[in-house]
Amino acid sequence: MTDALPLLVVVPIVFALAPIAVDRVRENTGWLAAAAAAVAHLGLSFSVLGTVLGSGRTSYAVGGYAPPFGIELVADGVSAVLVVLVSAVTLATVVYARSVGPRSNTFYSELLVLTAGISGVVVTGDLFNLYVFLEITGLATYALVATGRSPAAALAGLKYLLVGTIGASLYLLGVGYLYISTGTLNMADLAGLLPAVGYDSPVLLTGFALLVVGLGVKTALFPLHTWQPDAYAESPTSVTAYISALVSTAAAYALFRVIYTVFTPTFDAAVPAALDVLVVLASVSVVVGSVLAVLQSDLKRMLAYSSVAQFGLVVAGFAVVNQTAAIGGLVHLVGHAVMKAGLFVAVGALATVAGGRTVDDLAGMADRAPVVSGAFAVLSFALVGVPPAVGFAGKWHIVLGAVEAGRWIVAGVAVVSTLLTLAYFARVLERLYFRDAPVAAGVADRPDAATASDTDAALTADGSGSGGAAGADNNPVDAVPTVPPQARVVVVVAAVAAVVLGVFATDLISVLEPVVEVSFQ
Amino acid sequence: MIDLLATHFNYLAVVALLAIGLYGVTASPNLVKKIIGLNVFQVGIFLFFVTSGFVDGAAPPLLGHGSAPYASPLPHVLILTAIVVGVSLTAVALALVVRIYDAYGTLDEDAIEEVRTYD
Amino acid sequence: MTEILSLRPLAAVLLPAIGVLAIVALRRNPDVREGATILTALATFGIVASIVPATLSGDVYVTRLGTLVPGIELTLSADPLGMIFALVASLLWLVTSFYSIGYMRGLDEHSQTRYFAAFAGSVGAALGVSFASNLVSLYVFYELLTVATYPLVAHDESETAREAGRKYLTYTFGGGVAVLAGAVLVFWTTGTVAFTPGGIAALASADPVIARAAFALLAGGFGVKAALMPVHSWLPDAMVAPTPVSGLLHAVAVVKSGVFGVARVVLDVFGPETISELGVGLPLAAVAALTILVASVIALRQDNLKRRLAYSTISQLSYIVLGLGILSPTSLVGGLLHIPAHAFMKLTLFFCAGAIHVETHTDNISEMAGIGRRMPVTMAAFAVASLGMAGLPLVAGFVSKWYLLIGSIDSGTAVFAGVLFLSGLLNIGYFWPIVYQAFFQTADDSDAKPLVEFPLGGQRVRADGGDPVDRDEEDDGTAGGDDDQTDPADTESSAGDDQTDPNGGADPDTGLDAGALIDTTPTEGTVEPDIDPSEGESQVELEAKVEGEYAVDRHPSDHRRDERGDDDPAPADAVPDTEHHADGTDDGHSHHGGAPASGWEARGFGAETTWFMLGPITVAAAGAVALGIAPRAMVFLAVIQRVVFEVTGVAV
Repeated sequence: MTDALPLLVVVPIVFALAPIAVDRVRENTGWLAAAAAAVAHLGLSFSVLGTVLGSGRTSYAVGGYAPPFGIELVADGVSAVLVVLVSAVTLATVVYARSVGPRSNTFYSELLVLTAGISGVVVTGDLFNLYVFLEITGLATYALVATGRSPAAALAGLKYLLVGTIGASLYLLGVGYLYISTGTLNMADLAGLLPAVGYDSPVLLTGFALLVVGLGVKTALFPLHTWQPDAYAESPTSVTAYISALVSTAAAYALFRVIYTVFTPTFDAAVPAALDVLVVLASVSVVVGSVLAVLQSDLKRMLAYSSVAQFGLVVAGFAVVNQTAAIGGLVHLVGHAVMKAGLFVAVGALATVAGGRTVDDLAGMADRAPVVSGAFAVLSFALVGVPPAVGFAGKWHIVLGAVEAGRWIVAGVAVVSTLLTLAYFARVLERLYFRDAPVAAGVADRPDAATASDTDAALTADGSGSGGAAGADNNPVDAVPTVPPQARVVVVVAAVAAVVLGVFATDLISVLEPVVEVSFQ
Repeated sequence: MIDLLATHFNYLAVVALLAIGLYGVTASPNLVKKIIGLNVFQVGIFLFFVTSGFVDGAAPPLLGHGSAPYASPLPHVLILTAIVVGVSLTAVALALVVRIYDAYGTLDEDAIEEVRTYD
Repeated sequence: MTEILSLRPLAAVLLPAIGVLAIVALRRNPDVREGATILTALATFGIVASIVPATLSGDVYVTRLGTLVPGIELTLSADPLGMIFALVASLLWLVTSFYSIGYMRGLDEHSQTRYFAAFAGSVGAALGVSFASNLVSLYVFYELLTVATYPLVAHDESETAREAGRKYLTYTFGGGVAVLAGAVLVFWTTGTVAFTPGGIAALASADPVIARAAFALLAGGFGVKAALMPVHSWLPDAMVAPTPVSGLLHAVAVVKSGVFGVARVVLDVFGPETISELGVGLPLAAVAALTILVASVIALRQDNLKRRLAYSTISQLSYIVLGLGILSPTSLVGGLLHIPAHAFMKLTLFFCAGAIHVETHTDNISEMAGIGRRMPVTMAAFAVASLGMAGLPLVAGFVSKWYLLIGSIDSGTAVFAGVLFLSGLLNIGYFWPIVYQAFFQTADDSDAKPLVEFPLGGQRVRADGGDPVDRDEEDDGTAGGDDDQTDPADTESSAGDDQTDPNGGADPDTGLDAGALIDTTPTEGTVEPDIDPSEGESQVELEAKVEGEYAVDRHPSDHRRDERGDDDPAPADAVPDTEHHADGTDDGHSHHGGAPASGWEARGFGAETTWFMLGPITVAAAGAVALGIAPRAMVFLAVIQRVVFEVTGVAV
């Protein structure tokens, strides 16, 4: 069913319009529309995945114009996996937003436009079309970041807009360079024509540099990441979770397409210096991102800088230009999306209960929100790269590929990134589990518990660190905010998904592998 | 050199526009001027595309309008799309500027930064 | 060797995991929860034991779980080497489970569900380590083991514990990273990481530089958990964990997983032949020998019993590594046999330390004079295990050491035999005084230690996890004894230890004893002039204090407030540590160590502590003796001989 490809883009856009259209008649239709769109999208994604698994690469010519003249939508193993990821994250975000908002119709419309944009980025087979979808993604993201009511959110949104637009414009300029040298915009067609132009021609090299820098801005690689921490920190949690999982992911995916589908590994063989630069950039990104993450006290900022580091790892995997490392990059791309979305939702939930989202605010939260804390711990260790979670599968391939290719920097950085990641998660976990909540809260909350025998309390309430809802139930104060059940579900699903994806990494890789293999032929 | 300038003056214009735009975005503390700079920057890119499709003395690619060489219409079409994108971006940017102005009473980035540190 | 597909290895790993779920689910009913622990431990041991006959007849049970990452299977295989470790871990877990119950309840510990769940998780991961059939699967469980143990190290939730936890994570993850890097190198050069008795053939022909780098990374990485010097220092700090954790995990499961990793690398990844060709065996043995000696010397200087045991562990673990580094078949047998031998002996020792702590709140050796009257069975077991540690015959340590000695002479490296002898002497040096003073001295009549020398207030290392209500008692009780052990004031002020202190609430400056005026500020390492360190051992203990060996000395911040007494409420800077709610009432749970003023009361057999603790102590000690008297009757030696035969082709 190749028609599913355009529908992946069309369905969310149509549903995005629905809430606006019926806004006058009925309020709060936004959530319904978003939920319906998300479910439909998921169905479409699975049908695309099914098609790809059954018959390999499929494509759809938009408007009936045959490629390379018309725009081509393509689904192969990589894009099919990512489309499913997009649908799943969308559905999770919609579920989560049900409880924490924002509740306005415009939020849901923007969310669906963003879904459409990202789906477009993932399935398009045309460089200019990719630009349009990147900008649709960007537009929706800028607006979503600003849905936080604070003026700081608007400022963060504008900052993101300025930087993001420059990035996209540089990308567009790069597309122009490729177009004037080959006369085509279709990725597959370009791949065939570029060798004739000569990979070492200055025009192509400039074009490549522009494409990489443009996408690097969108991916938030150091030092092009400046927009990202503010944007992540100021937007509402549901937005942060969504964009952290998908927006940079879409840009990194585009980078993958540019390197592997358009320029192909033969480019690396011809001009090794071009990707050497990217390797260094990505490696620096890993180290600096992690160090900055350690320095943050705001959890959302910490996770934002963590994204800088993790995307550095992903791009490093791509830039090694080696089958194993590329697969590692893709696995980590998918895994990171799942883990980071879960982590942001968990932080949002814990921050609600704790009444603040600095690292210190979380002290002793494991007793009050045991399920979310447990899932947070699982996700943290997954991102650190503790096997068998998905973080390990990606890292293993990146390291192995880097060693195979003799890129010792990447291998070293990827291995050491384990410790760096641990550095910023360990202090959060330590506060969650091994520090008690500040005295003020403790005294106010438990006037009796202190004098009563500690034994029973310790055995029942405090003993539930690893699971169960005991902490929340036992808390005697009514006014204490609790974790919304939707958040709990989303976080747990993310944690389970991170582990399951890791356990079944081989199957994931078997879907991704053919695509990478093709580009190496 | 002169020859190059004479035949490729459009690229000069492109580079000039890109530079002016980028300068506007980075140098001006005023948010609206940043947006203007952004627009100039984009216009530079539009110009690059549009002029690249131009072939001296070529016919428009229509049936019955002379013979080859034809000028390529594709860059124009692309840029039409890009302009639409640019306009929507500007709209979103201006909407955000309005909100920022409502909140801080200024559009000067440095002043806003100062206000925020007081908060 | 035939492979038999079976679910038993998987079951052994999964059962503890299921146990974790059960323990968490039953958190509201502690009795049933503990029942779940015992049942799981019993079932796990049963499964592991059921594999033994097959192992002895040369069969290997294998569970294939599919592909972990392309090219690498996740397979659990109960091969003889793995069985050694699995048997030790599962058997001693069962023993420790009973002990844990006695210990945790005896101290009214907080977060017991978390404790038992993490404990089961750790053992499950340790079993995974033992059954993993290739380097990457091993790494998987090795990392899981780190994660599962972390909550146990930081269990106490005090600053010291958190710091120990941080250090633990940093060190062990650092080691894990090295293991990962080494595994990648091996996979890259040979295309496989599967364990092959005698070594992966392709490694022998690989680029020697790469092979040496891989060996250094792997041995170094596993060496972190094996507490090889200089990456050992997490282990003494991790002694803040509850004693059963120190006993099972930090003397058996976790540290042995490191040693076991080294064994896998030496025997099944590189193989003795390749290792001697690469010339990396000798450096490994040298590091181990150095660790044996240095750790023993440091152990001499520790006054805190658990820390002394920890350094003893570091030294003893290196026996195993030494045996693996010497590479001769006999030394391999000795090294591997030391895995169970040391496990039984050290577990006994830790159990004794824990029992002493629970019953008398005494953590320091200097306060244990005459404690043999109070805890006869415990101290007898302690004595037996100490003898074994020193390598005296009829206890487990002798057999393994014997093989090690023969092996080191066989291979022409007699210097290591010298190291082993010297280490035996050092062992006697640091264990004998404990035993001697326990039985042949009393608190009042220990000539070596005048009464004024050591405060009865004891030192608050809180090596045990402590209990939630004791903190404030110390505020109004014996102040100042924590930071400076040699403060004479405390001897007086805490004489009425368990009753309300007559000096309660008073600032130590105004204490009864004029001598107190000399030393009221808890500056590190202040040594009182009136000390008479007439016994050699106490001299080194004092030195230890001078150098601030104790975590509590290095991080005195959360103890300072003890100086201020009751009428001076804890100042703001001490607040972050007030997690345990103060109630100010005495529930009979003081943390003050040492003998009561009247001296240790004599207690008869079985009355010294609960059977939950006494039982495991006797079982572990009996195991150590059984292993020493009839090593062949215990299956370990037979299994080990099979391992060495498969690897080297030599029947020992």
